[in-house]
Amino acid sequence: MATILSAAAPPQRDQQPESEPGRSRERVLGVFRATPFTYATLIVVSAVLCVPLVFVVSIALASDQTVNANTFTIFPREFHWENFTRVFGTDLPMQRFLLNSVIISTGAVIGQVLSSGLVGYAFARLRAPGKNTLFIVVLATMMIPAQITMIPQFILFKELGWVNTYLPLIVPNFFSNAFNVFLVRQFVSRLPSEIDEAAMVDGLGFFGIYRRIMLPMLSPVLIAIGIFTLTATWGDFMGPLIYLNDETKMPLALGVQYITSTSAALQAPPWNLVMVGSILLTLPMILVYYLGQRYLYEMDISGGSAGVK
Amino acid sequence: MSRLRRREAMWFYLFASPWIIGFVVFLLGPMVASIYFSLTDWDSFTPPKFVGLENYTRLLTEDPVFWKALWNTFYYAAISVPLGLGIGLWLANLLNKQVRVRKVFRTLIYLPTLVPLVATAMIFKMVLAPSGPLNDVLGVAGIPGPSWLLEAIWVKPALVLLSVWGAGGATVLLLAAMKGIPRELYEAAEVDGAGSVRQFWSITVPQLTPIIFFNLIMGLIGAFQVFSQVYILTKGGPNNASQMMVPMLFDEAFSFYHMGYASALSWLLFAVILVFTLLAFRTARRWVFYETEVN
Amino acid sequence: MDGTQLSRRGFLGMGLAAGVITLTACGSDSDDKGSSSGNATAASLVMTVWGGENDKTTYQKRIDLLVKKFPELKVTLQLIPSDGYAQKVQTMIAGGKGPDIMQVAESVNVYSSKNQIQPLDELASKAGLDLEKRFGSIGKLYSYQDKVYAIPDRSGAMIVFYNKALFEAKGIKPPTADWTWDDALSAFKELTVPGKQWGYAGSGWWAQWWSFVYQNGGKIIDDSGRPAVATDEVIEALQWSGDLIFKHGVVPTQKQYADMGADVGGDQAFANGKVAVNTTGFWGISGLTKSAIDWDIAPLWRGKEQAVTAFGSGLAISRTAKNPEAALKAIDFLTSPEAQQQIIATGQDVPANIEVQKSDAFLKPAWMTKPVNMNVFGESSDFVYRAPFIPTWNEMQKAFEDGLADFWLGKQDARTALTAIQKRLESIVKPG
Repeated sequence: MATILSAAAPPQRDQQPESEPGRSRERVLGVFRATPFTYATLIVVSAVLCVPLVFVVSIALASDQTVNANTFTIFPREFHWENFTRVFGTDLPMQRFLLNSVIISTGAVIGQVLSSGLVGYAFARLRAPGKNTLFIVVLATMMIPAQITMIPQFILFKELGWVNTYLPLIVPNFFSNAFNVFLVRQFVSRLPSEIDEAAMVDGLGFFGIYRRIMLPMLSPVLIAIGIFTLTATWGDFMGPLIYLNDETKMPLALGVQYITSTSAALQAPPWNLVMVGSILLTLPMILVYYLGQRYLYEMDISGGSAGVK
Repeated sequence: MSRLRRREAMWFYLFASPWIIGFVVFLLGPMVASIYFSLTDWDSFTPPKFVGLENYTRLLTEDPVFWKALWNTFYYAAISVPLGLGIGLWLANLLNKQVRVRKVFRTLIYLPTLVPLVATAMIFKMVLAPSGPLNDVLGVAGIPGPSWLLEAIWVKPALVLLSVWGAGGATVLLLAAMKGIPRELYEAAEVDGAGSVRQFWSITVPQLTPIIFFNLIMGLIGAFQVFSQVYILTKGGPNNASQMMVPMLFDEAFSFYHMGYASALSWLLFAVILVFTLLAFRTARRWVFYETEVN
Repeated sequence: MDGTQLSRRGFLGMGLAAGVITLTACGSDSDDKGSSSGNATAASLVMTVWGGENDKTTYQKRIDLLVKKFPELKVTLQLIPSDGYAQKVQTMIAGGKGPDIMQVAESVNVYSSKNQIQPLDELASKAGLDLEKRFGSIGKLYSYQDKVYAIPDRSGAMIVFYNKALFEAKGIKPPTADWTWDDALSAFKELTVPGKQWGYAGSGWWAQWWSFVYQNGGKIIDDSGRPAVATDEVIEALQWSGDLIFKHGVVPTQKQYADMGADVGGDQAFANGKVAVNTTGFWGISGLTKSAIDWDIAPLWRGKEQAVTAFGSGLAISRTAKNPEAALKAIDFLTSPEAQQQIIATGQDVPANIEVQKSDAFLKPAWMTKPVNMNVFGESSDFVYRAPFIPTWNEMQKAFEDGLADFWLGKQDARTALTAIQKRLESIVKPG
């Protein structure tokens, strides 16, 4: 059997695609050179996209009177920074909400990152009878609106005794999901198959190929999956709304819903606090994306043997 | 089947087992249940009453809102999906250049998708006001801006606009994929004297097609299932001019307590999405380039 | 991708799974730990309410008082964001275990008509709770087929907010309950400065124009339970509301509202002095306590008769409550004067208990920054009409919302719009 051969033999380096166009000391290729026009376009686009966000900040800093009369301006005129501390001074346990968000999202991210690569790789590379049918099923699960399976799913989790725990929000992530499976499949399919064939010849088994060769090359897409899962879980309030009953278990996204919520239907919410809540909810994600870029776009993934890390 | 192939198949099912188990345990039951409920009259409280295909025939022949919502959903998907793809690709290409502070630009362009929708919707109502900032800008260009959210013909474009605002979300995957394009390809093209635009179309885009295809499929599914944006920004109004499939389904299920009817609606939507997805897969053979044939 | 379809065998397996789900959906009331123990009234109860932070504070204070008085009752408060309330409760009930006590309002009869909440007449009379004595005319507001399904908890009539400074500047006397439609209109005209200031905030919300319908002798649902919105009385009242915008120009158009800011309605326009009169609920007061404008409140004017919408909510006991007696005991206390005082003390709402509405605690709440004529609520409570809380309330509201979209834009007259709505309502509203 092939496993008799040394599994440690690294695949040939020069088969890896050079993945860092125009980076560091290398000469910048024309296509990657930024012209003044590039800067101008980026500045204009960023500005247009960010005008609404300046609005958010402006409302967050507005006084209660301004909120009641709804006389907001795009650029802040008043600076009620105390709105930020007020959100934490309410009867709602905001710090606890934040901690819960961290717990739930971390669990979900770990689950998706661990499971998605494996499943996606299998769908992209391994041959098996029934695979295509199964792939149609994978895609089909995304085509049925989540809203309609919500009640049956609730009943299922209730039978498992998971209601009012984090489990329904975390555990399913350990089984990957259609979006991520499809995503990894697409990324793997861009890699030349000679890589696996060479590894095969070198005697690496399928798991070895996955762990030592695919995993390192898939790290950007797994980081992307981590970021997508994180932001989706972090911002989700529908799942927690349905599954959690105790306030002490609820995440921050649901906390923002509480701030938005009023006792009468036509009563306006305290928009300044709603915006403060939204900013507090968004900031950690901005930070994660800003810092995560290093691993998403700038990482050197060209070394195949780097898998032994 | 050879021993090797059998072994490979075994590994496939082993690797795919997390998803298969998750599907069988968490999804299959609820999905099948909803098929069954679609054949019943069920208010979600009292036992369902079997009615056969009545929900489906009523939707297709008697419910005027269904056809309106379906048309609106088509409209939304037909414009927002290609627009989102195009803008995403364009932005990703810009962000892939050697730009100073590119991390900041990338973050700013991704930012809109991170802001909670309660905040976004509030802001968009201000931006889209009849004499709001957007119409002011249009006014400078000599275009009289409409009352976006109040007029039946402008409310859908307003929702498309909201989706375009979030088009930066697509840049994440495209950028990550762009980093994987072999540098030699560009070097060779440069030697051949191809300009940036030419290189973009003949190298970047073909190399990205698997990811573009992914974005297309996910965009389609997402657009056909658009929910929160509609629900928070317009509630489907005025007079259902912006009502779409999933908000309608949500109303039927959770506001009118027609769970059976809503289930039927969701399976019709499923069929529509399935048709479009399969069509996309059919055409994919002609324009999606995989290094290895995926089949 | 090959287009392989799911096999017939696969479908069969799925069918089995569906059966299992259905069984669990309808059968189980299973896990219920620590509820009813030995003592007949000792119980741990789950109570669901909607709202925000202040609502949580207020309900919790009342529950604390309850538990202090009846230590054998343990009540867990579950505050649910307003937008998700119906869905969460629906899912809880569908899952087999609803809350014991739940807050209900206009859509109460969704639950009562489907037997998801219990009739309370017997329980109440056993406990010696006289609804009419405690709550006055609204005592049996939450009824279905002559049975009471919820005990009123919060209830305040819609009231008129008026800008005192603008009224004084024009020499107009404050609005009273005796103003007629014509009196109101002429005041609005005087108070309007075209394009800048409007006499009235308008009546585009059901609670507003329905008040005029009932003032005009009309009804949305007639006594036999059939929709009756294409009648002359209803058409006339709606047309009057529309004319205020398009004929008299004393109410801002939707476009003008949209230009004032996002989500600006009457409340905000009144608070920033753009409209002189606004008709809304109690919540307007707390928003205005810090406002720069000078304002007071008055009862709603009248048409042929006196009529006004009331806002409020009640407390109901769900079908799955293990100990309805204990739940009623809790509700009995929560709606007693002692507990209801908290509702006004925190500025949450108008307590439904009429004794509290007449007390100093209500008439001069500690948080009020200026003298406000709080008597208005007591005065208005006699005028409150019985709104049709039909089981298909939400669908009915959607029919109005859809059918009047063009009317409120001035593109359709009231008769055309209401005739179409009547037709749609006839398929939604089943007399019963």
